Amino acid sequence: MIPIEARLARKALKGDQQAFAEIVGLYQDKLYHMAFRMLGSRQEAEDVVQEAFLRVYRNLDRYDEGMKFSTWIYRIATNLCIDRLRKRKATYSLDAESTEHEGLDGYAVIPSDDRTPESEMLLSETQRIVRQAINTLPAKYKSVMVLRYLHDLSLQEIGEVLDMPVTTVKTRVHRGREYLRKKLERKL
Amino acid sequence: MQTCVELRRKGLAMNCAQASRLMHEYFDGDLAHEDASELKAHLGGCPECRERFNDYERTEGFLHMALAAPVGRTEADRAALTDRILKSVPGRRSRRLARWLRQYPGVTVAAMLGLVLLASFIASWEQDQELVVRGSDLSQIVIEGNKVVVPEGARVDGDLIIENGEAVVVGEIRGNLTVIDGSVNMASTAKVIGEAREINQALDWIWYKLRSTVIDLAS
Repeated sequence: MIPIEARLARKALKGDQQAFAEIVGLYQDKLYHMAFRMLGSRQEAEDVVQEAFLRVYRNLDRYDEGMKFSTWIYRIATNLCIDRLRKRKATYSLDAESTEHEGLDGYAVIPSDDRTPESEMLLSETQRIVRQAINTLPAKYKSVMVLRYLHDLSLQEIGEVLDMPVTTVKTRVHRGREYLRKKLERKL
Repeated sequence: MQTCVELRRKGLAMNCAQASRLMHEYFDGDLAHEDASELKAHLGGCPECRERFNDYERTEGFLHMALAAPVGRTEADRAALTDRILKSVPGRRSRRLARWLRQYPGVTVAAMLGLVLLASFIASWEQDQELVVRGSDLSQIVIEGNKVVVPEGARVDGDLIIENGEAVVVGEIRGNLTVIDGSVNMASTAKVIGEAREINQALDWIWYKLRSTVIDLAS
């Protein structure tokens, strides 16, 4: 019994447009959510999602059915996010306290999406502080945390997505947790 | 209040570094059952570790809350992005056509055959710019330029077919007269026992050719 994504991937490879559209339907939200948490901007997140699906389409012939489809597509999307984050860091100062979404007076700058729902606009201080703290993590640590706490991926799966041994993933999660504990201890 | 250091000096089973590691395992969801009870025991006697544990618990909660919170995505957003993605995907048409052709190889064969037949029709049609006179009995026919004349008093026994010429009938034709891409000029004394037909359009010609091919094959 082949998993549904593998079946869809086979069809899409033969040129079945509908099958590919179904793949987009299955993963668009999850990828967007992850990219948004990684990058903080709606525009960038959508760009990454689009690019990820394009790469999936172009590389369908290289998809190895031994790997879970979700692992494969998450890997593509996560690497795109990490690349973007790293490019960003190169142009911004490494001031650990600021992110591009914080005003100097510490109040949240409304993100580029001016249709942000009420719930986001009335962000609790706590959430803002937590997100700010997460944003100060280096790209690889951040991606581990996002995959773990957003998508609840097992450490094993995270290892497969990021092409890292499980032990490395564990270390990153533990260090990330410790780092955030200290940071939030001071602020909350 | 006993600190971790003091507890260690008292030779308690676990030290705080170990406890810390186990806490992480616990929050990873990987804590083995035996270790869980040992950790619980340590936490019971070590307030620093207890506080640390509570901190981790809070951190976990914050992380889940901050990262898993909804991002305000509407159905319209989703549809728009899906649209964008599907439009940007390369080689839609060529892929579909190529796949379809691969599925029905007979289509390609039929198309080729059709082209060959068409080519031969066109070739023979082009050849037919010359005056052609066909019939089983042409002994009394007179040809003047592109005029094919059945003179007065003459008699043609059988069908007479003229292509690219003018038929001038003064005498008698005992059969069908067919003129293709030409004209018929019948004198008052002319007699055609059978059908007199003028074919001027390409379609008629094709139909005529097909019919004559079939008739030829049948006879």
